[in-house]
Amino acid sequence: MEQLYGYGLYAISLFTMGGIYAVLTLGLNVQWGFAGLFNVGIAGFFGIGAYATAILTTAASQRHLGGYEMPYAVGFLAAMALSGVIAYAVGKVCLRLRSDYLAIATIGIAEIFRLILKNETWATNGPRGVSEVPKPFETLPEPWNHISFLLLVLAIVAIVYVLVEVARKSPWGRVMTAIRENETAAKAAGKNVEAFRMEGFVIGCMIMALAGALMAHYLKFVDPNVTEPLLATFLVWVMLIVGGSANNKGAILGAFLMWIVWSMTEILTGRLPDELAIRAAYVRIFLIGLALQIFLQKFPQGILPEKRPAAQGKSADRGVVGEP
Amino acid sequence: MKLFKKLVIAVPALAFLAGVAQAGDVKVGSAGGVTGPIAELVAAIMKGRQLAADHINADGGLLRGDMLKLVIADSACDPKAAVDAGNKLVNVEQVVAIVGPSCSGATNGMVSSVTIPAGVTVLSDSATAPSISDLKDNDTVFRASASDAYQGAAIAALVYKAGLRRVAMTYSNDDYNAGIANVFEREFSKMGGTITANQAHEPNKASYRSEMATLSQGGPEALALFAYYGSSGITIIKNSLENGLFDKFYAADGMFDVSVIQQIGADNLRDRLWITQAASDTGDMSYQRFADTYKSAGGNPEAPYAAHGYDVTFLMAMAIEKAGSADRNKISAALREVASPPGEVIRPNQWKRAKQLINAGRDVNYQGAAGVNDFDANGDVTGLFSLNTVGPDGKWSRTMLK
Amino acid sequence: MSEFINFYFIPGVVLGSIYALGAIGITLTFGILRFANFAHGESMTLGVYFAWSMVQFSGLHPLVVMPAAMLATVIVVLGIDRVFYKPLREASVVMLVIASFGLMLMVRSVIQFTWGVQLKTVLPGIQMPYVIGDILRIAPKHVMIVAGALLLMYAVHYLLTYTKIGKAMRAMSDSAELARLTGIDTEKVVMATWIIGAALACAAGVFLAIDTQVETRMGFKLLLPMFAAAILGGVGRPYGALAGGLIIGLAEELSSYPWVGNEPLLNPGYKAGVAFAIMVGMLIWRPSGLFRGKVF
Repeated sequence: MEQLYGYGLYAISLFTMGGIYAVLTLGLNVQWGFAGLFNVGIAGFFGIGAYATAILTTAASQRHLGGYEMPYAVGFLAAMALSGVIAYAVGKVCLRLRSDYLAIATIGIAEIFRLILKNETWATNGPRGVSEVPKPFETLPEPWNHISFLLLVLAIVAIVYVLVEVARKSPWGRVMTAIRENETAAKAAGKNVEAFRMEGFVIGCMIMALAGALMAHYLKFVDPNVTEPLLATFLVWVMLIVGGSANNKGAILGAFLMWIVWSMTEILTGRLPDELAIRAAYVRIFLIGLALQIFLQKFPQGILPEKRPAAQGKSADRGVVGEP
Repeated sequence: MKLFKKLVIAVPALAFLAGVAQAGDVKVGSAGGVTGPIAELVAAIMKGRQLAADHINADGGLLRGDMLKLVIADSACDPKAAVDAGNKLVNVEQVVAIVGPSCSGATNGMVSSVTIPAGVTVLSDSATAPSISDLKDNDTVFRASASDAYQGAAIAALVYKAGLRRVAMTYSNDDYNAGIANVFEREFSKMGGTITANQAHEPNKASYRSEMATLSQGGPEALALFAYYGSSGITIIKNSLENGLFDKFYAADGMFDVSVIQQIGADNLRDRLWITQAASDTGDMSYQRFADTYKSAGGNPEAPYAAHGYDVTFLMAMAIEKAGSADRNKISAALREVASPPGEVIRPNQWKRAKQLINAGRDVNYQGAAGVNDFDANGDVTGLFSLNTVGPDGKWSRTMLK
Repeated sequence: MSEFINFYFIPGVVLGSIYALGAIGITLTFGILRFANFAHGESMTLGVYFAWSMVQFSGLHPLVVMPAAMLATVIVVLGIDRVFYKPLREASVVMLVIASFGLMLMVRSVIQFTWGVQLKTVLPGIQMPYVIGDILRIAPKHVMIVAGALLLMYAVHYLLTYTKIGKAMRAMSDSAELARLTGIDTEKVVMATWIIGAALACAAGVFLAIDTQVETRMGFKLLLPMFAAAILGGVGRPYGALAGGLIIGLAEELSSYPWVGNEPLLNPGYKAGVAFAIMVGMLIWRPSGLFRGKVF
């Protein structure tokens, strides 16, 4: 009985984390799936969101800036706003160049952001991080605290999904697709390509910050290590590619699926004899990388391929978004 | 979509498989940053934990002959991974208690989000951040390594007693070293010493020559160096010695590793490097008992926190034995009892004796390889320290620090 | 002044030479294969571990075993190209970048699995520097590193200028279509690019290991500065990568020189950000880089 209850709690945690990753992946989908923007600095915007809400909502401490004890909603909104502003500045510099440059620039920005978190100790408590971040519903008795938080996360996933889905089907979304597929033609049709790209980039980054904020409250703690690229950038990419880029349902499916695979494989490796169990931790990373390569080569459209809104004629047979 | 359906079936099946444990095992979670930034340190710590489990199982196991099974989970030095790891250990594996995680941040996230609400006792071997002391933990969070506050003060006293009054300091900008450096700066100034310069450095850079050149300005007599040996400590000592910038180094236990001597050379370090490390008050006996077996198990006992890894596992086993059953709720109180006086002293690799005494209802007091473990109200240890220098034989030589 | 040269300028040059060697590989893949190879740092780490194993096995100086380590690295990188990059060659460029991003983690985990995560060293002990005229202090290994880097760069220069394959590579870098029309064997050029890139990456890694130590994340730490050097110099321009590497290396070291007053100009904690700041500046003002490279 206790074991079953344990599985229940674990399932809740799986779906909570999966849900937070689903928000992240939806953010990436707006950038990559819609606008064809290659952002590998996800961890940076994720971290901006996490720290913004942590500092705003946590009680006073001598170790870091804060003590504002703002409501959660303020934390979430501030996280998104701050991330949006920073994304705008980054976009101004990088969006005119080809996606490789954006990739290099964004991974660099994520690293710089980490340096700031580590060095500006007065605000962030440096490498020691911000602890005792409040968690919504934490005063409820077990397991209702976990269930309520899960419902909050799922509700946010649903809201974000509906919003990006509406956006995708709107004229705005169609222009995005047009730009991604053929920039020259879109320009010729009189579309302001740069402005559209910027919108996609900023909105994506704001969604990522929202995920970061959720994560901070879920972990009740943030430190610079939450922006470690493996779990905060790479895994998100794998989720989107596996789930199906440019398809919002695919993004959500990929996030839950890959998180469940990532988390549950450890239950198996943890049963190996000790020396092997330690080394298996690296094998896990290798296998996730391999899964990505297999999908890239064999199923470039992911599990749920892109569905064009009101597509004329044959729909996407080109696989993942191509370069012009 | 087919894949998704398969998944829906596969998840519970996997979960079921996972739950099938061998009867007669007592499971203790072993969380550590196996991957991530301090993976090299964690490998040695994990070895220490496993060694303790091996000793216990060879000497009769827990309770009624049950085997102690350490379930390894990767906390990756990342709070996200640690929370996930904690969830699996607590809910899927149904562990009695958890030893680890290694990093302060990972520990903080895991205990706040998972184990405190679940009421599972956690004993970390290497998380040293002061903020962990403040958590409202219902007495379920313990640490076998002294909070930075103690070691920072110990080094400050050591430097001051050596007659040095002007010291430059640098620290690697990570949670562990920044904390000790902070305390050192405060304590040394309080004693009347002068910090001529204080700089953080980013670990894993190829060269620290310019940093050292800047720090050597203003006539410092020594360098207080707070770093892990691997990510920057060795490079800094090399750079300083090669260029004659500093010739006296005081360091905390993140620098204590045999590879420091191997890479820099014993002759270059003799009378130049002083390293503090947590130790037991009964001299070397406890440490020696651990070191001998750790060495014969193919490990190098002079690795940071390897001894702590041994201690936490041994202590946790004693607590389970004391509690008399694998009941999570009894562990915290039992842990306090077996770790502190009064009671007969138990040292590493004395499981038979420990088990006998506990079963006879006698008081026991574990004195670990890495120090006494008399937990205070916050579940922290005060810690005594040893001083390590390079001896005439080119190996580390330990003396107790009073 | 002597302090400036000994502790800021010379380390900057040494670091810059290492960056430059690595950046040549990046700039060539970027220019010829047309994608940013995120796994390049990992080729470097792999090369170092090969060299380390050979040093352990033979007891020779790391520079002696370096050619063998380079060969081993080249073989692995060619294998990676065959299995992971070649099937994607006809797809879009960004797929290649994503694949390289995945390979970065795959190769690193293989290294961690095979060799473990313990710190290693290829050249133990410390080396006292040559002291010249009481002012100049140069460590023997630094002379070795800079000389070795120069030698390798000359070899690349020779290869690109005077050999048939080198000319083909330059042609391909200038215009892939044109090169194909003139009958250049594209696959051969691709192979040559990987060979040069991997060999130089291995060399850069071994030099870095001689200066510091061997650890599994060393390649990733150099990835950003190497990208910065490649972009600064101009994509597809090996000489640009050379200049870019040196500039980035020097800028990182000189940024913490106390130019004004007694405090370092920039908190050394931010040193790692200097390379990136230069790169962003370059992207804003002159994306083609110093040597008028390509902008895609």
